Amino acid sequence: MDFTFTEEQEMLRTSARDFLETECTERVVRDIMDGDLGYSPELWKKIADLGWLGLIFPEEYGGAGMSVIDLAVLYEEFGRALFIGPHLSTVVLGGMTILEAGAEEQKKDILPRIAQGERILSLALTEPEGSWDSRAWDPEGVTVKATADGDSFVIDGTKLFVHDAICADAFLVATRTKEGADPADGITLFLVDAKSPGITITPLRTIADDKQAEVVFDKVKVPKASMVGKLDGGWAPLHRSMQVGRVMLCAQMLGAEQRLLEMSVDYAKTRIQFDMPIGINQYIQEHCVLLLREVSGARWSTYLAAWKITEGEPSDFEVAVAKAWGSDAHERACWRAHQVHAGVGYTVFDGVIPLYSRRGKTFQLYLGDTAYHKEKVVKELENWPALEEPKGKPLGIWEEAPEFWVPEWWPEFEATNKAAQGG
Amino acid sequence: MDFRFSEEQEKLREEVHQFFMENLPSDYLPRGTRGQTLEQYKFWMDLQRKAGAKGYLTPGWSKESGGLGLSDMEQGVVMEETSYWGAAWPGSQGIRVCGPPVHVFGTDEQKRKFLPPIAKGEVIWYQGFTEPDAGSDEANVSLRAVEEGDHYILNGQKTFITAPGPADYLYTLARTQDVIPKHRGISLFLIDAHSPGITYRPLPTMGIFTVEIFFDNVKVPKDRLLGELNRGFYHAMVTFEFERSTTGAAAGARRTLQELIQFCREEKRNGKSLLEDPSMRDHLADRAIEMELTWLQGWFAAWHFSQRDKLGSPPPEAGGLHNKVVSADRAKQLIDSMGLYGQLRRGSKYCRYEGRAAVSWEASRSTHPAGTIEVNKIVLAGRGLGLPRIPAKFNKEIREAVEER
Repeated sequence: MDFTFTEEQEMLRTSARDFLETECTERVVRDIMDGDLGYSPELWKKIADLGWLGLIFPEEYGGAGMSVIDLAVLYEEFGRALFIGPHLSTVVLGGMTILEAGAEEQKKDILPRIAQGERILSLALTEPEGSWDSRAWDPEGVTVKATADGDSFVIDGTKLFVHDAICADAFLVATRTKEGADPADGITLFLVDAKSPGITITPLRTIADDKQAEVVFDKVKVPKASMVGKLDGGWAPLHRSMQVGRVMLCAQMLGAEQRLLEMSVDYAKTRIQFDMPIGINQYIQEHCVLLLREVSGARWSTYLAAWKITEGEPSDFEVAVAKAWGSDAHERACWRAHQVHAGVGYTVFDGVIPLYSRRGKTFQLYLGDTAYHKEKVVKELENWPALEEPKGKPLGIWEEAPEFWVPEWWPEFEATNKAAQGG
Repeated sequence: MDFRFSEEQEKLREEVHQFFMENLPSDYLPRGTRGQTLEQYKFWMDLQRKAGAKGYLTPGWSKESGGLGLSDMEQGVVMEETSYWGAAWPGSQGIRVCGPPVHVFGTDEQKRKFLPPIAKGEVIWYQGFTEPDAGSDEANVSLRAVEEGDHYILNGQKTFITAPGPADYLYTLARTQDVIPKHRGISLFLIDAHSPGITYRPLPTMGIFTVEIFFDNVKVPKDRLLGELNRGFYHAMVTFEFERSTTGAAAGARRTLQELIQFCREEKRNGKSLLEDPSMRDHLADRAIEMELTWLQGWFAAWHFSQRDKLGSPPPEAGGLHNKVVSADRAKQLIDSMGLYGQLRRGSKYCRYEGRAAVSWEASRSTHPAGTIEVNKIVLAGRGLGLPRIPAKFNKEIREAVEER
């Protein structure tokens, strides 16, 4: 057991924090939220130069070959700094899927360009019908069809809640290519140029101002060569990169919560009411302490999941636990920060608490909320093996004592005591 | 970062696991009884001795003291296996609470006399801290110890003292000096439970069995003072450090969850497996998530403690508080999932799930041992997060002002 971060991870954390504090200020974040693109091209270029877009790719594809734990360290800092941009869409959901399932030419073509900051991807998965419930993130929800047509496929249908659609160069689209008993069998991924004829993008107005969109594919013709992975076999690789994505959302929420905790404690110590710092009040203290509880829970559940993925061990249970806890814990953490800051934490034009809680809503919902992941947790529990029973001779002594409030050894103890005291 | 145990640790775990597999009866029902029958008590006492002979009660203690001379991490592994089976050691207070400070602050003679019997599972200790006016305010101890020749004479009362079996020794906080701040005048004593002048009165609770202890001119030899005179409160804080680094909670929760899943598999509700019931699924998911978080936070604390020479004191973490906060929810969800049947005790006609919902619900009405939830929050706010508190020197003034009104 070892709960330490490596020296490289600590360095990554420090340099990321320093960089983001200067380059990803509240002003920059607000400008991106107020703008139309959903990211800042200047900032994107700078993080490409720092190597953050290729961090997770092998060196042969222009990356740094770092691990999912390393990436989580970076995402913790993203969360802290309210970083906004298509990193998750491009690097994790798009890039890692291509890295795993893509053909060699695709990888050689796309991954180095992602790492250079020259190509932005967006995952088109969720659809209007499935977005009410768990179908958003399960294979059942993929109904948009891709139909073979000679050397091409024709994609027809609507994807909704598509992150980073507006700035994307290409969509990774999950399509239905076969109907059968197993909904995971029959999903095919295509990398579709965002400028393809027939694509219409309509931005949605969300709590987080994070530029999600409706993307309509109206008989969009794509060459067969744009298929990522095998025909009908797209779900498995996509699922694996979504699992990494979930851990990254947890890390982002963790980083944000840590900052909210620091701000709340700081405010509680310095804000004076009734001639005293408000933090002397135990109602305020409770908010801070329970915020700490959310952070404590989020930290190690996130890194355990990241570690399991890094080690290549089965990780579905750990990822589900982390996101199931993380999503609702984040909601509570933001709410507590609001309570401590009261009106000061509620204004729109200045102060970052609302930025955290608004962005938090996206983190909670994206790639499955608490209810969704709790169901995944139970699915894992159902597979637990039968209980192991001990092998000793049965004794038949486990009934409750008839007078159960006082144990049966008590009278003897009293007698011994009296005798020992000579009475 | 590494969440694996070493090969040696896994080997030790397997050994302890096998020890319980062989020695627990096949019809064993972990937890779920409150008042022990004589047979149950004797069974645990016998098994405790067997475990003690193997060094499984105190693997982290030195060999001279009856341990295995292993590290805190191995101690954590053994504790995990022990808690997994819900082993109700009558000597648990000595093993976990009273022994460690003797290890740290005891004279060689005290160590020789007191530690090996604890490690061998032969004796039962009570931790005598709480008093009627010293609950959350532990420093308000008023059991008085007055020096007289080669003895101290003790007068006063303890209450809510956990009593997992008949006591042999009492590990007791007593006032040896009237001083402000109050915690600078308290000392620790190791007292024979049968000393003349001590009387006990049962004080059963809805959960664990506790007693009141009355001291009437009890003579305690001077060599039973533990550590420095008037430093007892500080010494006792060490106890809390040891208690903090527990890895057992999650293991117990794991076994309970496995049993609940087994029960759900076998139980039919309206013709369907209980495992398909939506509210039961919600309950199971919450239990699993909590178990995982408890496991991680418990091991983080244990690991940090094991590295204390290098890392110093741990950062504020809310693991202990988390466990307390969720324990009430846990019991409520279980009993709610059983409708009218939830209230039935073991042995009653129609009782389901061995009456565990009733017992755990009753037990969960109390989360105060080792500090109430509220005191834990206050400590975490003050010492952990550095939030302000009213300086103690104003306490009396505030009290008088309030009383005047």
